[in-house]
Order: sequence, then C-alpha cells, then structure tokens
Amino acid sequence: MRSIDIHAHTFTPTMLKTMAAGQEWYGMKYTDAEQRNIFVKEGKIVNVHPKCRFTPEERVADMDQLGTEVQVIAIHTPVFGYHLSPADGVAQAREVNDDIAAFAKEAPTRFAGMATLPMQDVDAAIAELDRAVNTLGLKGAELDTVVNGKTWDEPEFLPFFKAAESMGATLFYHPQPQHNLMLERTNKYGLNNSVGVPVEDTLLVAALIYGGVMENCPDLKVCVAHGGGPACFGMGRMDRGWQVRSEARVNITRPPSYYQSRLYYDIVVMSERSLRFLIDQVGIERVVLGSDYPFVGWDPSPTGWLQSLESITQEEKDMILWKNLEKLLGIETKG
Amino acid sequence: MRSIDIHAHLTPQRFWQATEKGGDWHSLRREQDARGRQIAIVGDQRGGLPPKARWTPEERLADMDSLGVDMHVLSPYSGFYNYGLDASLAIASSRDSNDEIAEMVKAWPDRFAGLGTLPMQDVNAAIAELERIMTTMGFKGAMIDDKVNGKLLDEPEFLPFWKAAEQMGAMILFHQGDGTLVDFRTDKFHLPNSIGNLADRTITFCSLVMGGVMDACPDLKICLSHGGGYTCYNIGRINRGWQGAPDSPTKPPMPPSEYLRRFHYDCIVYTEDSLRFLIDTVGADRVLFGTDWPYDMEFDWPVSWILSLENITQEEKELILWKNLENLLGL
Repeated sequence: MRSIDIHAHTFTPTMLKTMAAGQEWYGMKYTDAEQRNIFVKEGKIVNVHPKCRFTPEERVADMDQLGTEVQVIAIHTPVFGYHLSPADGVAQAREVNDDIAAFAKEAPTRFAGMATLPMQDVDAAIAELDRAVNTLGLKGAELDTVVNGKTWDEPEFLPFFKAAESMGATLFYHPQPQHNLMLERTNKYGLNNSVGVPVEDTLLVAALIYGGVMENCPDLKVCVAHGGGPACFGMGRMDRGWQVRSEARVNITRPPSYYQSRLYYDIVVMSERSLRFLIDQVGIERVVLGSDYPFVGWDPSPTGWLQSLESITQEEKDMILWKNLEKLLGIETKG
Repeated sequence: MRSIDIHAHLTPQRFWQATEKGGDWHSLRREQDARGRQIAIVGDQRGGLPPKARWTPEERLADMDSLGVDMHVLSPYSGFYNYGLDASLAIASSRDSNDEIAEMVKAWPDRFAGLGTLPMQDVNAAIAELERIMTTMGFKGAMIDDKVNGKLLDEPEFLPFWKAAEQMGAMILFHQGDGTLVDFRTDKFHLPNSIGNLADRTITFCSLVMGGVMDACPDLKICLSHGGGYTCYNIGRINRGWQGAPDSPTKPPMPPSEYLRRFHYDCIVYTEDSLRFLIDTVGADRVLFGTDWPYDMEFDWPVSWILSLENITQEEKELILWKNLENLLGL
C-alpha cells in the first residue's frame, strides 16, 4: 500500500555484531548468553525485540506483510549515546549513521533513514547532521525528548535548530520508552510507557513552543512521536498558563496553540477518537503515518487500522499515509 | 438555571488572622514579598496567595453572585495539605480548617457545602477526621493530593482509608498539592502546573484502577479535578499498558477504559473541543462544573463560558452545571 512510516525502530549491524562477540559497544553489552537484553547504562536494561535484528531482506518481507511501502528507520532511543563523552558520542553517531545509511541502501525504494546525533556537543551534532543529510542521504535525525536532563528550550540548542532548518532536515522526537520521567514517581503498572511516554512527548512540544524554537525557526521540520502525546488535548491549559503567567511568555508573542500546527505528529495515539481530535486540532496536513514498529501490535496492521476508520475521510487517510511525508521528506512512493 | 462549583478553594480566615502579626498557624507562617504579594510558608515550601484568597465569606459570596455561581462546594487550599509536617500539626490544621468550612456551611447552607482536608500521612487519623466531618458536620467528602509524601494512593496502607470513604459515602476530590511530576524535569513556563497537574491526575486514575482500589471499593465516589488530566485522551494507550501488564492479584479484570465511568471529572479543560471529547468519552452524567476559584488558572466567567458553548446541548449543560452534583452530593 502506498505509505511512508516515520516511526520505525531498529538496532544496527555493527552494534549487534560487536555485542554478539561478547564485546562492549560504547559501554553497552548483553546481560547474558541468551542475548535478549542489553545493559545500556547506569544499570538500565533494554529488551531486544527480535525484529530489531532483522536484515534488510527480512524487514522488507515483514513490511510486505503489514502493507507498509516505506519505513523511515532509526536506531532505538534506549541506545542513544548522549551520556557518553563527546568523543565517544561522535564516534557512536558516525558508526550508527553509516550503518543506517548502508541498511537503507539495500532497498532504497523501501527504506529511508534518520540519524542519531551526539547532542552532548552541539557543534559536533550540527556537523554530524550535516554529514548525515548531505553525504549519507539521511532525512534528518531522531532525538530524545531531553538531553542529559536539559530541555530543548535551552538557548545552547538554538544554533542546532537553525542549522537543521537551513538544511531542511526533519527532526523526529521520541522519548525513552521505559527510563523516562515517570520513574521519578513510580515504576508500577508499566505507567512509564503508558503515561510517561505521552507526558514526555507533551513536554517536548511545550519546550519547543514556549522556548520560542517554533517562533524563531518557522521553517523547522519537527515531528513528534505518539501524536505529540496529549499536547493537543491539554493545549487549552497551556494557553491559559501563557495568558496568566509572565514566565510563560518570555519567548513567544502568541499563545501556544498558535504554534502547534507548525509541528508534525504521528498517529500512534491508539484510539480513533483521539486521532480524529488530533487532526481537528493541528490540521490534516500535520498528521503522518507512524507505527512504532515493531513494538505496537496494530489490528490488523498500521495501514490497515487507519484504512478501517470511519471518521477519517479517504483524502485524509491518503495525506496521513503518504502525501504529507512525501512532501516533508522528499520521498516518492509508488504503491 | 443553577450552578454548583465543585472546585473552589478556601484559605482559612484562621490562617490569615493567626499570621496577621507575624504569628504562626500550626507552624505555617506568612510573609509579604517585595511586590506586596502574600506568601504562605509551609515547612520549607513558599507559595504565593492571590488577593482573593484572603476574602471573607461575604466578599466571596458577592464574587459568586457576580460570576453567577450559586454554590461553592468548598475545598481547602491545596498548599495547606501539610502532609510533610508532623502528623500532630496536620491533624490540628485539618481540624481547624474543617471547622471553619463547617461554620460557613452552617451560616449559608444554600451557598456552601464542604469538602474537608485530611492528615493523610497518618491513615488512622485521616479516617478519624473523615468520620468526624462526615458524621457530625455534614461534609460531602474531602480533597486529597495525588500522592502522600511521594506515595501513590494505591499503596496497601491506604486501603482502609478507601474502605472507610466508601462506607461513609464520602466523595474524594483529587487535586495536586506538593508539586507535580513535571517539577522533576523543569520549573519553566508554568509547566509544573499546566502539564504537571494533568499528568498527576492521569497517574491517579491509573494507579487506583491498576492497583485494584476501584475493584476493592465498587461504591467509592471519586472526582478527578482538571477534567481528569490526560486520562480520557490517553485511554487507548492506558488500555494497551493494561493488556501488556503481567498478571497480579490487583490487576483489574477489565481494561481501564471500562472504569472511566466509575469516576467523576470537573470541566476545567479550557476548550470546547476538549470538553466535548471528555463528555463523549466518559458521559455527560460524569462531568461536574468546576472553576478553580480563586486562582489565576480559573475560568474568567465560568457559567457564561459553559452557557456559550455551541456543541454542548442544553441538557448536557444542565447536568454539568448543577444536576450531576445535586445527585452525587445530595445538595
């Protein structure tokens, strides 16, 4: 089916090969001989989904099953290297980005790629984004919602946004699925994923809007995973905060809701009513297909779920499935 | 048409009077900052109080008249939960605050009803105070924080409290007090309030459902303020989390969406589209009029806002403005 999926996770061949040989990969290693889990950092463990090990051929076969034409692949956020030394961060990003580009080239009509960046060193991140986009042909970068505790409204990140804007690179934001803000409150019931993730997405939307990034970089291309969380539903409260609190107005001249249509949002909101609401709030040209591959079991598939919805028109479905992302990323689909 | 406000706070006159000449009210103190703003000091926390927070009942009634609000279901100022203080101080301040609310209800029974505050750091004392205000003082319930000194309310130690609240028919209103989840990330742009309140209410919904409290107490009455936060919009993802959660003795037998109608929600969601979404998700009989009086995040003209909405039916407006609360609280 004619479609581009902007939200598709993977691990990279060099990373997997290094750890399979029993070696550390930028401080990360398998927890045991079964190689199902990775020690990431600071005692944190991430599970390795078997599909994140797929070769390009295996992945294309699975996409055929799902009816997905193009996946925009990126390395999964838990192995991002923002915590590494700047030198290690740069080395890791270069290796990952070379791998992602090579993986995508194995099936160039089926894959596009997103870089990872050493955000602990803003100058190095700009240089690597330039290399990833202009040399490797990647479409932009996937970024965490927070950088070693710093939020993205910090002035030190503004040169990065300016650079991304001038390159036409797309920034895809995705929080840590497990080790996120929720753990400050509780580790029960999987709330870190079910609530912590969308709260992180919402905080990212807020940081970019209230921080003045969307005002200062009007052509910046940003897409937020999980539909931006419930940012659109809670936008009225953000507007009220802007009206009554001077500290909420330091960087922006208009209410937050004015800027929400400058971002893009994927459809991982997990209910038709919420997707309809998102479209009505941000505009259909800002909503794009994302599947969270391979972690979300869509019924019957990401594209099949969307096509089955009665409250979304066929023209809206086509915009979500491929038209919006063709334009945003400069990809041609064939169907 | 009547209007009953479930979300209207009271900063006790007893606090203002006790601190007038530099004294303390159960260890709470007060200062004026450089701009003349009143600052309440609770332990090591400092919180600004708006001018309306010191208004007398008569001044409050006059403001309610100007807003077209018939009745305030009074709840305490959330900065005075005092869960972090010695339990003896919180017990005393709770009794004092609740006694003042009782006096207001007695003096103006058509204009005020009461929700108490409870010393939740001492569960037995909290149950005793809830019993005092429910059985001898005619309160409708109590307002509590989403967490008690870091603990969520699904911890087993709180189950006797939930059983007692259920048995007494007390409605428990959830409202943040001691910071929110977002404080762990940033203090900028008012986000601990504008996002944090909504995150905390969502966590409360999930913890009460996933922690088995709603199954253990089928008749419990709960109101989640600020429209229940992100609960209704995010319920699809919350359901998916339930599907993937390992079996446990408290894991509910039904998906969390099946529990949405076990809760009530105030209407403080600020936009017509979000209110419509809330009603469509939980039912108009579950949405209650609330204003957040007297804080800056309150609606400017709450009754006229509700009445002006074009996508809410007249019947729904009546349910929200007063009928639901009449039924729920017996007003």
